[in-house]
Amino acid sequence: MFKNVLSRFLSETLLFQRNVKHTPSLRRVGAISAPLRSFTDAKDGEQPPFDAALLEVLVCPLSKKPLRYEAKTNELINEELGIAYPIIDGIPNMIPQEARLIKREASDTPAQ
Amino acid sequence: MAASVRLLVRRAIRVSHRDITVSAAGVCGRSFCRCFSDAAQERSTHFGFETVPEAEKADRVYKVFENVAQKYDIMNDAMSLGIHRLWKDMLLHAMHPQPGARLLDVAGGTGDIAFRFLEYVSSQQERQQRRAARSSQTLSWHDISNNYSTVEADRPRESTAVVCDINKEMLKVGKQKADSMGITTGLSWVVGDAEELPFDDDQFDIYTIAFGIRNVTHIDQALQEALRVLKPGGRFMCLEFSKVTNPLLARLYDVYSFQVIPVLGEVIAGDWKSYQYLVESIRRFPDQEEFKSMIEDAGFYCVRYSNLTGGVVALHSGFKL
Repeated sequence: MFKNVLSRFLSETLLFQRNVKHTPSLRRVGAISAPLRSFTDAKDGEQPPFDAALLEVLVCPLSKKPLRYEAKTNELINEELGIAYPIIDGIPNMIPQEARLIKREASDTPAQ
Repeated sequence: MAASVRLLVRRAIRVSHRDITVSAAGVCGRSFCRCFSDAAQERSTHFGFETVPEAEKADRVYKVFENVAQKYDIMNDAMSLGIHRLWKDMLLHAMHPQPGARLLDVAGGTGDIAFRFLEYVSSQQERQQRRAARSSQTLSWHDISNNYSTVEADRPRESTAVVCDINKEMLKVGKQKADSMGITTGLSWVVGDAEELPFDDDQFDIYTIAFGIRNVTHIDQALQEALRVLKPGGRFMCLEFSKVTNPLLARLYDVYSFQVIPVLGEVIAGDWKSYQYLVESIRRFPDQEEFKSMIEDAGFYCVRYSNLTGGVVALHSGFKL
């Protein structure tokens, strides 16, 4: 029983410490909605979610056509040309030479 | 027998000579043709004071910035004695972005311009809100609270900044900075080529490229891409090192560039050659007037430039109309 109490005490102090560390960042961000988001982002941890807002602006650099986000492989896919641009650490890599050919499409390689 | 052997040998030599001369002529002719055609295919460009094939320049530039990424900001402060912060602040001041503006910062790397942009816009927004509050000060509390709710509802579109850079390392450093500063909204990072931007037409209000355009292999292509992604009425702004006008200052600047900066690069970042490339690339970049005509050729209007720090840095600006 004492061990349970001790472990709970430790976890709560750790949580407290983590929350305390994040309040300076909360104060920094101006808008009202943003602090909530930064709070939850901090808890979500490893895989930074890909910003869907970027999808509105991003297009394939070769064909300038819109892309489709594939959550499973974490890539942006251009169906027409059959290429997939990887997203590494939440940053999409839109260099044509580094795009992957999707085997379905037997089109020219993008690495010209 | 000896005589016939000698004859044979002599004949063989004669034949081989003929062969050699024929083949030599052939080789010369072929290689001459090859040189001629190669010169047409494989154009070369400058990499600092070296001349390299165009295909190579992009790779070498990539390696330079991959090496310096971690120490980039520290080196900027050391080399420019902190003045680069003033240059970037002056860029923002000239830009004077309004809340709701969308920025594309190309070759943005560590994100200096994007951070300043977001800060500027948020302070502008606060100022506008304060102005609105002041004008409605005689209202009752009930009215004021109503005003607040309507302001939230039809808030103008959030300002967003997209940082685009060809180098992943620089973007990584920038993203880390953003995370440590606690900026989460309104900032996106994309790996992309300035000559082939992964953005649709007519997307951005402002396009900036600060100290990056001299590293681009085909500057005219980058300028055309800039024109493409800007909205009509959008502004192109470029900060870049340029020609110093004052001769005395030019001498001092040369001495400082070639004697001090590479040494600083070696001491702080452990990389002499990258900083040697840096100062050489500055010398190879066209001067203010030439760059202004390049921007005009790309299709921008009202192209102007202003010299900062006596011409060490020039701020070029053009509009897509």
